[in-house]
Amino acid sequence: MKIDIEGLTKRVPGTGDFISINYLKCNNCERCLFVCVMNLWRKKEGKIYLTDDYQNKCLECAACFQVCDAGAIMFKYPAGGTGIVIEKG
Amino acid sequence: MNTYDLIIVGAGPGGSVTAKTAAENGLKTVFFERGRKPGEKNSSGCGLGPRMFRDFPDLMKDLTPDKCPSMREGRASRNYFINKDDVVAGYIMARPTESVSYEPAKSWITMNVYRSEFDPWIAKFATEAGAELKTSTLIVDLLKENGKVCGVIDEKGQKYRAPIVIGADGVISMVAQKSGLRLKWTQNQVTLVPQYDFYAPSDKIDDIMGDETLGIWWGSTFPSSYQVFFRESFHQGLGNWMNWWDKNPLYYLNRVINLNYYQRLLKILEAKPRELQAHLLPWLDYPYNTHTDGVILIGDAGGFPCPLEAEGIYPAMVTGKIAAEVAAEAISSGDFTKDSLKKFDERWKNTSIGEEFEVGSELWTIWKALPFSPNETMSWFVPMIMEILGGIFDWSQPHAKRVRQIVSHMRSYMPKATPFVMKYVFPLVAKIFEDDLDKLMDPKKIMKVLPKILNMLPQKKKKRGGQEK
Repeated sequence: MKIDIEGLTKRVPGTGDFISINYLKCNNCERCLFVCVMNLWRKKEGKIYLTDDYQNKCLECAACFQVCDAGAIMFKYPAGGTGIVIEKG
Repeated sequence: MNTYDLIIVGAGPGGSVTAKTAAENGLKTVFFERGRKPGEKNSSGCGLGPRMFRDFPDLMKDLTPDKCPSMREGRASRNYFINKDDVVAGYIMARPTESVSYEPAKSWITMNVYRSEFDPWIAKFATEAGAELKTSTLIVDLLKENGKVCGVIDEKGQKYRAPIVIGADGVISMVAQKSGLRLKWTQNQVTLVPQYDFYAPSDKIDDIMGDETLGIWWGSTFPSSYQVFFRESFHQGLGNWMNWWDKNPLYYLNRVINLNYYQRLLKILEAKPRELQAHLLPWLDYPYNTHTDGVILIGDAGGFPCPLEAEGIYPAMVTGKIAAEVAAEAISSGDFTKDSLKKFDERWKNTSIGEEFEVGSELWTIWKALPFSPNETMSWFVPMIMEILGGIFDWSQPHAKRVRQIVSHMRSYMPKATPFVMKYVFPLVAKIFEDDLDKLMDPKKIMKVLPKILNMLPQKKKKRGGQEK
């Protein structure tokens, strides 16, 4: 059985932006690329970026914020009552 | 302005027990939840430990399947040992042993229940005691006057005032950040835990697993993975420290799922993946910076999960109860300083949680060295343990010869096992027994004795049998 992770999470829309990157601090260590379960951090032409649709895919674990020793990744939780809904946690 | 005696950020089990205790102590209490209801943002393994039932009997006796339908007792655990070829080399089934001293620990190892049911259930005790619960409310900052914490501010700018704020807001704690207690922990103090939820028909779980409804998959190519069965579903998850991952965490979790043994289990259980979750779990050898002027951190926010296997809910409840009691006393005395709130540390250190952390460093270290180091340690540990446990069940040779074969083969593990035992096991044993074992286990003495023991093992077959005189 190969698990397709698409569709395995439910969400309430309207989170607004809740993750961002500060390129003045980012040192390209790529740790965020390794720890994001949903693979929402990417690298293109030497630059780390967050995928445009992250609000619809993020599991809100905050691993990217935690793992960033450069302090380049800002994370606050989505607006109250929005974002991921864990029904079977 | 909304004015309270006590503000609690977070309505998980820790926040709810804090709120309940505070309300029962006559404090005007509010607790905040960013989800639409408690539990909506939380995932755990999630097997509840028996100490919760021992220490919070009035609460826990109310936990019944009509309130939390997902409940299933993990009466026995099944420990699978998986070798570096991803083959289940053997397993041990264990149920509570004769030395276990109280109920319900004698009857089961874990009580498995979803957080989506458990968290709202336990929050109700707080609201029934008079605490006010505000859901769908994200607290974004601490309110301060003259540098002193005096409340919180939500995302809409609404202010709530109280002389003490309890941070029950998990690993990435706003209360910890804004109070200056910490921005974040270091990478080897936090684990990342991805987890699948699988649906499986209840009768299939009953028939196939019986009451062995807690599984640990001790891997040689992935960090040890837990499996927790509910009434008609199960969780499969694993974790490791933030600085461990060299690939997407799902790569490792999928290695468990892709074991031939596991695939067979999924098939016969008729299991289907239903939800994917990921969360951070603090895993410290000792909690620190738990309080400051007007602020106390409890549960995950305070770093209280068990240093060995990271049980989090029970420590959150214990520290939440203590925090509420300390807050009530501070309100009576009017002293909200760090010095007054240090009673929090004094009291949790005197509980079952404090006793656990007395051995925290040794427990943390051995867990890191063993299940969290699959390639380095489990790859030789699994065949070694199976040589002992499984090697004897074999008739490929005369039985006596088989024993000699096993003993002889065990010698090949010594170069790895001996330093491991000296570095990780002896310090733990010495700490646990708190006596002169430190001296007894002096590595120099051990190295004198060990070669002699090894030399006592038979090197080759001597002439044996009834004819010999």
